[in-house]
Amino acid sequence: MKNKIFIAFLLCLILLSCGKKDDVVEIQDWNFGGMPKLMEWLRQRVNSFEKGRPGVRVVQSQKSWNMIRELLYADFSAGTGPDVVNVHANYAAEFGGAGHFYPLNNFPDFEQVRKWYVPHLLESTRYKQDYFGLPSSGIAFVLVCNKELFDEEGIAPPKTWSQFREAARRLTKDTDGDGTADQHGLVLLGGDRGGFAYRLAPFLYKAGVNIMSEDLTKIEFNSPVGIATVKLFADMYQVDHSITPGFLAYTLSEMNDVFCSNKVAMSIEGPWFRGMVREKSPGKEFYTVPVPVPDDMLDQYDTAPTLQDMVMYSISARSKHLNEAWELVKYLRNEEADMAWIQNDMGAIATTTSALSSPEAKSIRDLPMYINELNHARPWPSHPNIIAIANNVIAPYCQKAIVGELSPKAAMDQAAEEARRIIEGKK
Amino acid sequence: MKKSTPYLLLAPALLFTVFVLVYPLFQNLMNSFRDVSLVMGDRGWAGVRNYSSIFIDSLFWLCFRNTVVYAVVGTLLALLIGLGFALLLNIKIGRFNHLAAALYILPWVISPVVAGFAWKWLLNDNFGILNHWLSSAGIVKEGLPWLGDPRTALLCVIVARVWQFYPFAMVMFLAGLQAIPLEQYEAASVDGASAVTRFFHITLPNLRSVGSVLLLLGVIWSFNDFNMVFVMTRGGPINASMVLPVLVREFSFVYFDLGKGSALSVLIFAMLLCLSFLYLKVLSRRESA
Repeated sequence: MKNKIFIAFLLCLILLSCGKKDDVVEIQDWNFGGMPKLMEWLRQRVNSFEKGRPGVRVVQSQKSWNMIRELLYADFSAGTGPDVVNVHANYAAEFGGAGHFYPLNNFPDFEQVRKWYVPHLLESTRYKQDYFGLPSSGIAFVLVCNKELFDEEGIAPPKTWSQFREAARRLTKDTDGDGTADQHGLVLLGGDRGGFAYRLAPFLYKAGVNIMSEDLTKIEFNSPVGIATVKLFADMYQVDHSITPGFLAYTLSEMNDVFCSNKVAMSIEGPWFRGMVREKSPGKEFYTVPVPVPDDMLDQYDTAPTLQDMVMYSISARSKHLNEAWELVKYLRNEEADMAWIQNDMGAIATTTSALSSPEAKSIRDLPMYINELNHARPWPSHPNIIAIANNVIAPYCQKAIVGELSPKAAMDQAAEEARRIIEGKK
Repeated sequence: MKKSTPYLLLAPALLFTVFVLVYPLFQNLMNSFRDVSLVMGDRGWAGVRNYSSIFIDSLFWLCFRNTVVYAVVGTLLALLIGLGFALLLNIKIGRFNHLAAALYILPWVISPVVAGFAWKWLLNDNFGILNHWLSSAGIVKEGLPWLGDPRTALLCVIVARVWQFYPFAMVMFLAGLQAIPLEQYEAASVDGASAVTRFFHITLPNLRSVGSVLLLLGVIWSFNDFNMVFVMTRGGPINASMVLPVLVREFSFVYFDLGKGSALSVLIFAMLLCLSFLYLKVLSRRESA
């Protein structure tokens, strides 16, 4: 008898598991990185999206910002992956060009949607004729200066390379009188190759260096000015000793630690930095200024381009629910949603025209400077291999030049040669 | 019992092994002869091109050297320290032995990832306890960038590896020490042998087989160690502490060249296979002795 009951129970279970699936459409949403406040906002926003659409369920996954390429390539090559994903806008060329992202301009209402955004920010999501994302979280790289240390020394934030080098030299000090410097002028993010490249590029751009030619067929970062840019950092490290000696091991968190503890006077950062500093050292003040330019370009100090970075929301070309995914992306990135970037510190700048011109935006500290920098900023060249070149070629060679393993010219020339082989498909 | 019953009972375990071990190994071997990229997909047969590109890559030789140094120096140091602690613990001084053994063995039970992060903070140039101690003692004036200096990064990772491996060596040596017949020491004492003579002529020869097994095991495990290096330095700065397992990750998931990554992992597998055969030979010699 017991056996019969057990078999009947098993049969019931099997029948139940074979039942018709519910009609709910499931959207996989991968979220790379972001500050806790942004993640909380996303959770609430997705909840509200689901409430308005009972037939759609959104499954959110939080992923590491440093693993975007690894995770996406691994999943896309296996034919899986998310429906909706937020990534660097630079990936429009790499993933869009390879057919992994769906061109959003295929949606009939795209022309309406595109009007929400600051035009040149939307352009960053374009590769060839297609737009592969909706802008979110605009970023311009700037120089942050420790106000306490600068005021103590009685100097203003630098505008030119000479002022920058001089400020770093003066702010490198032996504060405890033991004969060795324990405070340094500048910290660089050396422990993360991508992060390092993103902090070197603003100096290259401000000096007028092109990473690649306009038609994306030639490597140009090893120009005389490009070499001079790397030499600036090499001299600061090797001659002035004004860059923290251990920078090659530093991650973002360690950079924040040394900045907040007054062991460093300057760092190359973006809009996320205020929130990070506030968390570690509430009330700490710093100047946020454009990245310095070469001495003969002083008149272009606030018009020369810095590096523009941006996050975009993209849809996988393999998504079986393109329309629902598009609805979700629009809901997360519409003008109303973008106001959250004005009302809260999301670690980045809003990207819609209406949010940036709202009355609330005027009261945000640093925002006019960031908007001005964003207006002139340039993203990485729109080439499918550019992130590989930045992370795996430019960063390691320039690090070697800074610490003196290679001369700046040899490092830039070797990097350019390797980058050339990559774009020619030989490596 | 039918003849087929044992095979039927073994089948689930065998199938599981095939799926989780044999199939990936075979696939990896196949990939190593193909031009496979996560970005471009499978572009067909590549012959031995992946292998030849590894051998002409100077980074491979740097990593090979680093791996050998990491494995051999790290294991030898761990064995020396483990032997020292085992000798101390072998001196019976009541309950303290148990407490000390428990404390000494702690590094072995800590996850390498947790240990790696702990070491990273211990060695931090600005806030690390090591620099604090060194500057308090007047040995250095300011914190040294242990992990940020290409000259010291590999050394630091070796120290962390030694710290993690010595407890295993200690336990094994302790077991070996306790198996040495006391009569040998008594006879030597009667003959007037000093403590040093007894150590070199009785203790060490008796521990030789344990030591050789430990040396091989330590080298094999260190050769294959990814976690500690990756957590502490990611192979940096500027590849100064890059070891072969981390290079496999670089090839496969940074450069997305699965073919080259697979070829390198096959090479590591071959090297480990040689070491494993050596280990088995030593083990069988020990058992027959």
